[in-house]
Amino acid sequence: MSAQLPANLSAETVREISDARDEPEWLLEARLEALDALDELDLPDVIQTPGRRWTNLEALDFESLVDPLNQADETTRESPEGVVVLPFTEALPEYGDLIEERFGSVVDPETNYLTALSAALFTTGTFIYVPEGVDAEDVKIRAEMNSRSLFSHTLVVTEKSSSVTILEAIESGDSVDDARYFSNLVEIDAGENSYVQYGSLQNLDEETYTYSLKRADADTYSTVNWIEGNLGSRLTRSDIETELNGEASETKIVGAFFGHDDQHLDINARVWHKAENTTADLVTRGVLDDEARSVYEGVQDVGRDAWSTNSYQRENTLMLSDQSEADASPKLIINNHDTEASHAASVGQVDAEDLFYMVSRSIPEEQARNMLVEGFFVPVLEEIAVDEFRDDLEELIAARLR
Amino acid sequence: MSSDQDHLKETDTEARFEFKKEQKAAFVAEKGLTEETIRVISEDKDEPEWMLERRLRALKQFQKMPMPTDWPGQPDLSEVDVNKIVPYIRPDVEVRGGVDDWRDLPDDIKDTFDKLGIPEAEKNALSGVGAQYESEVVYQNMQERWEEKGVVFMNMDQAVQEHEDIVKEYFMTKCVPPSDNKFAALHGAIWSGGSFVYVPEDVTVEMPVQAYFRMNSEGMGQFEHTLIVAEKGSEVHYIEGCSAPKYSAFNLHSGGVEVFVGEDAHVQYSTVQNWSKNTYNLNTKRAIVEKGGRMEWISGSMGSKATMLYPASILKGRGASDNHITIAFAGEGQNIDTGAKVYHNAPETKSTIESKSISKDGGRTNYRGLVHIANGAKNSSTAVECDALMFDNESTSDTMPYMEINESTVDVAHEATVGKIGDEDIFYLQSRGLDDDDAKQMIVSGFIEPITEELPIEYAVELNRLVELEMEGSLG
Repeated sequence: MSAQLPANLSAETVREISDARDEPEWLLEARLEALDALDELDLPDVIQTPGRRWTNLEALDFESLVDPLNQADETTRESPEGVVVLPFTEALPEYGDLIEERFGSVVDPETNYLTALSAALFTTGTFIYVPEGVDAEDVKIRAEMNSRSLFSHTLVVTEKSSSVTILEAIESGDSVDDARYFSNLVEIDAGENSYVQYGSLQNLDEETYTYSLKRADADTYSTVNWIEGNLGSRLTRSDIETELNGEASETKIVGAFFGHDDQHLDINARVWHKAENTTADLVTRGVLDDEARSVYEGVQDVGRDAWSTNSYQRENTLMLSDQSEADASPKLIINNHDTEASHAASVGQVDAEDLFYMVSRSIPEEQARNMLVEGFFVPVLEEIAVDEFRDDLEELIAARLR
Repeated sequence: MSSDQDHLKETDTEARFEFKKEQKAAFVAEKGLTEETIRVISEDKDEPEWMLERRLRALKQFQKMPMPTDWPGQPDLSEVDVNKIVPYIRPDVEVRGGVDDWRDLPDDIKDTFDKLGIPEAEKNALSGVGAQYESEVVYQNMQERWEEKGVVFMNMDQAVQEHEDIVKEYFMTKCVPPSDNKFAALHGAIWSGGSFVYVPEDVTVEMPVQAYFRMNSEGMGQFEHTLIVAEKGSEVHYIEGCSAPKYSAFNLHSGGVEVFVGEDAHVQYSTVQNWSKNTYNLNTKRAIVEKGGRMEWISGSMGSKATMLYPASILKGRGASDNHITIAFAGEGQNIDTGAKVYHNAPETKSTIESKSISKDGGRTNYRGLVHIANGAKNSSTAVECDALMFDNESTSDTMPYMEINESTVDVAHEATVGKIGDEDIFYLQSRGLDDDDAKQMIVSGFIEPITEELPIEYAVELNRLVELEMEGSLG
């Protein structure tokens, strides 16, 4: 059962988008293929337990949310020397062959209804290319969403023995008075022995519905580290996934979320161990206030041939309000015994003893609680390589606690 | 070693389960499931009208509900065609409802339970025994002193006649309604045999009562129903064992268990499951626990081709608690999908779930569990721990817990590990003079000890033997 196709969506619409951007024929074809596939595709899988569905994507009214021809954004891109950081329209003339080869190779546009919709309609996003042996720090992409709907696609290609740290931040520009939809696909093709840290900060207006799928293909000896902060949106569905396809490849998926009011956060981290000697570490920390609800799924999948695997997962949620809800499902799928795998999850309040100690040191209770919440995020903050990203995230957390 | 363990020691364990008796039945239902079949069975049991009505209602629900097929990683149930099984076989015994002296049973049936060691265990360690052969209970007995205190332990069919009011109130109404899942509906339509246990207020039944379920015939289904009502302040330990010889066609076991744990009452429900490896074991077990009550589910799942079983506790009253201890062992061709469900519906409720699983030779184990803490269940806590051992890269070990937390003043912890037997552990034991097989055997025994120490010694020994049996071959 797929979602209702918006009426204003046709091959004509897609052609118009592609023409306006002066795109090569292959990209138009790719968009049209994705559009065609919509009929056959389902919405992303959502966890169900007896009598309960953890996230209700069916309720999204795409008819009114999606406005493909009026997409608008304001995006700035900072690129250190030696790295290509360009919007697709500018990158295509020079890197057309490379983009044609890699586009959609990590995130299959036909993964689900929402990915296909995104691939057919995207008008913003970035192509990041790190040539062999280049070490680059602090690629910064800051985007403002200025339309009812916005579809973004980012492709990162790192060549052999290169490294890069990236920050991608998205927030709402013009004031918003109606529901909005933001879709963000990110694919990382990490070459042999390369290193990528991809940080992502989502702080959209709370009228916005956000869907994001970020996926990496990690080659031999490569490392892909994801860091994601989710504070904005009314409903967020975020999937971060790494396929460890190369021997001795590694990944970390580190996430922080802070929900308040009636925000709904559906956060997912998944890793597939497909080669020998691979390592994964999944760390998610979340805080919920008011009537916010979080849904978390973490999957560690160890394949038959993934000898000598190490795989760890931790998810901790702090509940600041009785009206909030935290749902979690950390999963282990293990098909090779030569594995050291574990996961741990916890849900609870700010530690009463810690609070008591601080109050006894004459720190006012609210301040003490806020300090403990800030401290709770430290394991995530410590992982962030781009200073600006860490500062931003800290500020947003602090602001929400006031 | 005490004498009561000797029968386990002396008999070849495999031979104890793997024997077949010629089918000598008094009544065999037609294969498949129709309204007619159910009317015939109900009439054969001389049931009251309301029970027939419940059966027919359940049948309608069964026919409406789809097969569960979309659970991630679930066992393949495509072979399970209810129209291919014989749903009801009444063995040829004179006394309906079970004799109370083993000597009154036909030789082949008596011999079956002798081989399984049931009369021996009864003498030494149990307050009472019920033994079911095919679809009916053939032996039922309890020590007089419990009867005098008002404890009831009888077969379920008889309870429908003799304790109609209680059964009518509790049978598949409040705890496991047929609408719960497809196999609960099937069970509601075709159930036969099982146990009814009633423990009056403040009575502690000191030694366990046991029920043993034996399927002898090829291609049959066994659908026993167990209803336990433990009144305020009472205490009882119920043990069930089961086995069947292996056939090429599939057998189906779909039991239903309902436990009502009264205020401050304590019920322990232990299962040693050793169905043959052509059996589909699709059960629904659930307890409702009142204020201050305590429910314990202890299960060892060794047998069956595929198991889907998630014993549930609904912690309904303040301070109610639950304890799950479960062990699953999946060898070649087995898919043991088991776990636990706990609903914290009241303040100060507690649950602990401890799951151990072993998979080898291509077997698959899965822990699938749900902990739900409702809004208002203040100061509740839950701790879940799942550990899995794997022997090879043909096997699969999955862990799929689900947590739904609607209350902030709670303590929720879940931990899981998966790995192989430590090389260092084996090396250490070998340096102490054990060979490789014995070392692995010992490590596995240690791994499942949290389960075995909860069981009376006879069952602990039995469980260890079953594991030993499973381990043979792979370790040769």
